Amino acid sequence: MTVKTGTLIFCSVLLCSGQETRTAEIERQRDEKARELKPEDVSKGERFLRDIKERKYLERVASGYNGLRAKIGNMVTGGGFALGPEYFREDFLRGQLTTRASAQFSTRGYRKYEAEAILPRLAGDHLFLNAIASRRTYRGIQYHGPGPDSSRSRTNYLLEDTSIDGIAAVKPGRFLKLGGSLGGLWVNVGPGQDSRFASSEQVFTPAQAPGIDRQTNFFRYGTFGQFDYRDSAAGPKSGGNYVMQFSWFRDQQLSLYSFRRLDIDLQQYVPFFNRSRILALRARTTLTDTDAGNLVPFYLQPFLGGSDDLRGFRPFRFSDRNSMVLNAEYRWEVFSGLDGAIFVDGGKVFPRRGFLNFRDLEGSAGFGLRFNVQNATFLRIDVGFSHEGFQVWFKFNDVFNQRRFGTTTGQPVY
Amino acid sequence: MRRLIPLLLIAAMSAGARKFYDDDPLEREPKPRRVEQVKSRKLSDYYDLFSHQFGKVGEKQPKKGPPIRARAVNTLGEPLQGAWWEKRHYYRTMSNEELIRGPGDGNAPADGPWTVISAKTEGITPGFVMRDSRKRLYFVKFDPISNPEIATSADAITSRLFYALGYHVPQNYLVYFTEDRLVLGENVEVKDSRGRPRKMTRRDLVEIMIKVPRTADGKYRATASLGLPGRPAGPPRYYGTRADDPNDVVPHEHRRDQRGLHVFAAWTSHDDSRAINNLDTLVEENGLKYVKHFQLDFGSTLGSASSKVNSPRSGVYFFSWKESAISLFSLGLHVPYWAHAKYPDYPSVGRFEWKVFDPERWVPEYPNPAFLNRLPDDEFWAAKQAMAISDDNLRALVSTGQLTDKAAEKWLTECLIERRNKIGRAYFRKLLPLDQFAIVNGRLEWVDLSEKHGFGGAGPVSVEWSAFDNETEKRTPIEGAASASLPPMNGDGYWVAGLTSTKIPSHKISVYLRKRGGVPQIVGIDRQW
Repeated sequence: MTVKTGTLIFCSVLLCSGQETRTAEIERQRDEKARELKPEDVSKGERFLRDIKERKYLERVASGYNGLRAKIGNMVTGGGFALGPEYFREDFLRGQLTTRASAQFSTRGYRKYEAEAILPRLAGDHLFLNAIASRRTYRGIQYHGPGPDSSRSRTNYLLEDTSIDGIAAVKPGRFLKLGGSLGGLWVNVGPGQDSRFASSEQVFTPAQAPGIDRQTNFFRYGTFGQFDYRDSAAGPKSGGNYVMQFSWFRDQQLSLYSFRRLDIDLQQYVPFFNRSRILALRARTTLTDTDAGNLVPFYLQPFLGGSDDLRGFRPFRFSDRNSMVLNAEYRWEVFSGLDGAIFVDGGKVFPRRGFLNFRDLEGSAGFGLRFNVQNATFLRIDVGFSHEGFQVWFKFNDVFNQRRFGTTTGQPVY
Repeated sequence: MRRLIPLLLIAAMSAGARKFYDDDPLEREPKPRRVEQVKSRKLSDYYDLFSHQFGKVGEKQPKKGPPIRARAVNTLGEPLQGAWWEKRHYYRTMSNEELIRGPGDGNAPADGPWTVISAKTEGITPGFVMRDSRKRLYFVKFDPISNPEIATSADAITSRLFYALGYHVPQNYLVYFTEDRLVLGENVEVKDSRGRPRKMTRRDLVEIMIKVPRTADGKYRATASLGLPGRPAGPPRYYGTRADDPNDVVPHEHRRDQRGLHVFAAWTSHDDSRAINNLDTLVEENGLKYVKHFQLDFGSTLGSASSKVNSPRSGVYFFSWKESAISLFSLGLHVPYWAHAKYPDYPSVGRFEWKVFDPERWVPEYPNPAFLNRLPDDEFWAAKQAMAISDDNLRALVSTGQLTDKAAEKWLTECLIERRNKIGRAYFRKLLPLDQFAIVNGRLEWVDLSEKHGFGGAGPVSVEWSAFDNETEKRTPIEGAASASLPPMNGDGYWVAGLTSTKIPSHKISVYLRKRGGVPQIVGIDRQW
């Protein structure tokens, strides 16, 4: 310990002379502090974190340079890691118009090009307009064959499509959205290019997989309705989301593959114990129907299996003309940024609507973790078990992902 | 000189053992040193969160041995008045009018146009900075559109409550206005969502006001917070001292006024009580510049989270290893206490209740070193102040929130009353809750705060008098002196009354008396538990 002579003398003189006071003691502490004064500042680490927020570095990276930025991920399951440039602007027409155009390439050679214009808040947030075009080349979409008894062994096929769609919706109320869509879809399927699996057309006949040998183009249109009173779309804890979409696909070339499709998706979130526990329930079905002499092409049939429905099965494990799935998930808060989850899934695909019942369901169950920030799930890890083994999913969205209205872009497949 | 040093050292050491100095007990901090320059620096809220949650900040209480008692207090255990805190309601009962007035009521924005000079256009609850027609600066903050009145009422009520509790707070005014009163200043800049500055337009102002709720008669309701005096110097942390302030000599985690703040934060559900919600300013008073410390931003109290209703998790840390592990491995079957709270549906109050509230379990959103260092005497100091604010006082304070829903106002008042009572019960039982010592007609008198507030009282107390040697701190018992009556005191000197709870013998208070010129005076109080 260093004792400074001056201080000591000052202190002792005061004490010996009986002049020591509390005030003098405090003054002495101030003296010592005054000798060591330096500018108040923050550490480098703190400055770095502060600047990230203050100068909006993350927002700048996300927004890119003059609208040009990187688009990462969001490719179909099995497509590998995808990356590409995106031009994104949301400041046209005084912020009324959002536009984007992107090109993505994946490590497995998948390609996706998209262009979109959105007018999301017209007429005082009561009208929504969206135009979207896409071109996709998926080199090896997995296919297990038709029906609930399809084989576990995988095949794959090439899917190339181009689509242009327009979507309009009105919001007559706070929770209600009603709309319609109109568009075209040009499809080509061919031999799968994933050498790990057999090509689908080598295993399945056109009778088993309609459309595997002949491609066509579609004019499609539809209507949809949504009643959504969830508290947050990105990480709901309460409320419900009820969606119905009816679509017509008109075969423009062969007059063989016209069909109608009905999608119903009902979600309910039941919170208890002050929203620290959530019961998330979903029932979803897709039903298709054709006129006499028409078939639903295999690549437009609904499928089950994957991170959003039967989580204990491989992606695209089951497909047929119709599907239904039931999910129940119990979530509990581990801490404010993490929820645990236990889930059970049941579902099936079936050839005729008469099979829409709760018999012969494929089941899976599992557990997971949901990382969230500001009431939005940014990472979901699920481990699903079924009689076919287990699957581990890393997803950057909430479970029960909602199908986009009136377009196939952004869908896993259709 | 070399020979002199040991002699001086011995003299200093022997004299340094002295318990009381001639000017004890100090009421105020000594006149501050003049401070010419302080650096205005911003803190990172992310860094604050991570460093407090996972790092080691400040000096913690030792796990073994005697605890570190609060500093920046006088020998009676009261914080020194000055740059951090002032004696107010507990020490000199304020009338309801004074409580409502708070730090001031004469500086509401003047009639005439308000000139907007900067704005926060992003976020759920935007706001702006304006000058009124008398050129005074105000920070204007609004309620979220989902919960009208929630944040502005919380700001009005809690700022006045904290003022009554002794803290320096800004003058907050509830204002109602129409949009035509706003004038856009010249060359005002705003930042877009990517942080790029651009000139603010009238449309930006319109977009701010679109996000703001209106009253039934079409007006906007806001908190207009008068700019603090002096030059802003950034927030004081809850640990350490400012490196550029010679007057800031006691680490903040050891200040009683900061440790005790935990109790007030629990009372008002001020779980956002972190550094960035405080502010130091370099003020000039009577020609002297010094750094003054203010508590700010009370919009996230009383069930509000400023931009929305407060989380039901209020009162627990964002993250805790133990609680997280229990929750994870019990699959959620272990339900935390806060999850049992029930909140009535008052949108203008949010999530505020008293039945599940437990002041002993309540913590802010992440660890606060000053709060964690609090000891029972810090809690007692805070609890006695809280209990001094009567039901009627609280009704008056809550009225400053100008809540339209009278049932909500009643509920808010009920919660504050009941939470205050829980605080009193919790902290008065942790030590001998006697205070307000005085010498009256040759007797030592005191008030049993537990009894006064209807918590059952501390029970019988034994008294033993001793002569006290101020240099050696040696006590010499005075035979037969075992009552509240002062013993025979011959000449000037020191005496000590040892008060012991007969219910809990470890609960003790030593009351020190000094006699000068024939007049005894209470000079010190030590509490043990």
